[in-house]
Amino acid sequence: MAEISCDGRTTRDINSEIRRAIAAGDREIVVKDPGARHNLAVAILDPARIRISGSAGYFCGGLIDGPRIEIDESAGWGLAESMMSGEVLVRGSVGNGAAAAMRGGTVVIHGDAAARLGVSMKGGTILVAGNCGYMAGFMGQKGRLVVCGNTGDAFADSLYETACFVGGSIEGLGIDAVIEEPSKDDVAWLDATLSQYLPGVSRRGRDFKKVVAGRKLWNFDKREWKVWQEAL
Amino acid sequence: MCGIVGFLSTNGDGQAETGRTILGMLRALGCRGPDSAGVALFGAPNDNRFAVRVKLGEGGDLQSKARQIAVHLEALNGASQFSTTGAYARFLVSGETDIKQLADSIESLDKDYEVVSIGRRLEIIKQTGSPENLEKTYCVSHLKGTHGLGHTRLSTESRVDLSHSQPFWSHGFPDLAIVHNGHITNYHQLRRRYEQRGIRFYTENDSEVVAIYLAEQLAKGGSLQEALELMLRDLDGSYSCLAATERQLGFVKDPFALKPLVMTETEQFVAVATEEIAIRAAIAGTYSVREAQVKEVRVWQR
Repeated sequence: MAEISCDGRTTRDINSEIRRAIAAGDREIVVKDPGARHNLAVAILDPARIRISGSAGYFCGGLIDGPRIEIDESAGWGLAESMMSGEVLVRGSVGNGAAAAMRGGTVVIHGDAAARLGVSMKGGTILVAGNCGYMAGFMGQKGRLVVCGNTGDAFADSLYETACFVGGSIEGLGIDAVIEEPSKDDVAWLDATLSQYLPGVSRRGRDFKKVVAGRKLWNFDKREWKVWQEAL
Repeated sequence: MCGIVGFLSTNGDGQAETGRTILGMLRALGCRGPDSAGVALFGAPNDNRFAVRVKLGEGGDLQSKARQIAVHLEALNGASQFSTTGAYARFLVSGETDIKQLADSIESLDKDYEVVSIGRRLEIIKQTGSPENLEKTYCVSHLKGTHGLGHTRLSTESRVDLSHSQPFWSHGFPDLAIVHNGHITNYHQLRRRYEQRGIRFYTENDSEVVAIYLAEQLAKGGSLQEALELMLRDLDGSYSCLAATERQLGFVKDPFALKPLVMTETEQFVAVATEEIAIRAAIAGTYSVREAQVKEVRVWQR
């Protein structure tokens, strides 16, 4: 196990040391005293386990492909942005734009997420134990977005094929978002996934609403001008 | 960019090291705003008198300028005490004074003079440059108080000088200060409307309108909570905004959540900042921090 202290060091230096430790064969890395500093553990492409023992700032775990990153407290804007694979777990809450444009892997947030969670996600899974803010899931193209608590306004706006699941209440649906019954497979997947990542959540798969695209915005048809007027 | 911070110590008699905490938070946000730095601190009350802080202008013999104002104030209402530090003179005047008249009469003495703050407890100290320089000139870390605000500025549209720096005092309304990160897009429209009613703008900084707006709402008898909620209706653009009065600290986040703002509250203190890095740098201990949600308004009382 490698221990890397952030005190008195540049972020570049810390990230280089994380890479050096992985290259030297370390598979357990603890980053101490992060103090919510930005850009920690970005673009790590190996399956190591990196624990941030405190809060992370902006863009933590962005562009990763393979590692498991655990953050003991909260994370700032752009957590795990565009991640390809791996896992990112946050014990606290996260700022705006968490898991935006992610392509694969799993992001688990034990607290709440702020605005624009998982916008334009292209794959993978996002799990939030608490609530999420405004405009979550906007233009989601693939993957699954699960919010165990309540959502903010404009939830799942202009969706493509991301499947969204909500355990609590939805403050407001976005344009073209529709609620449907989760299938048996959905319920089984939710139960399995929640018991793996968030065993503390009391809601079961059958308690969730499913939100998907109404597909009205997918193709432009001038006879449906009213729909577009409303959307834009 | 810009960095904003707020801190409120929930107990004690105003002897908390609020200046040190706010400076610590500002240092961590120095890179968000290299143009200017400032604080608004609420210290112990001055025996019910108003502390009047006046910017004396760039250069010249500041001591004699301060004396000129002191003589003027003595003729006006028998004010006595004054001191000068850096670019400011500070006067203590009777708590019964009409502060609008007082500020106007000081500012009419010389076009360089600007009353930067008036309050029973409010003191605004700001200048161009880094938080480090602010500390060098004014030793803000030594200031005690119950709560306060801080700002580091990255100017986007208006001039970089002391007057355009933040926090802004709500001219004419005692003990009300704001800091703002963002851009008020209907600023010109609002400004025209206020100017038609004879309200003077001291700067071309769009954030100034926030202070004027909140003063207007509070003068109408609304609470700070209500005033901040009304901002969501009347002010367009991006804003994370902190406001403080003699006994309150509050914030509002705009309807698109375009600007960052995080907060933490414990039994001992409340801290709000643009980035968590500021809170972690200034306050040791275990506490959790979360980002404010869209349109969220909070006010803490003490």
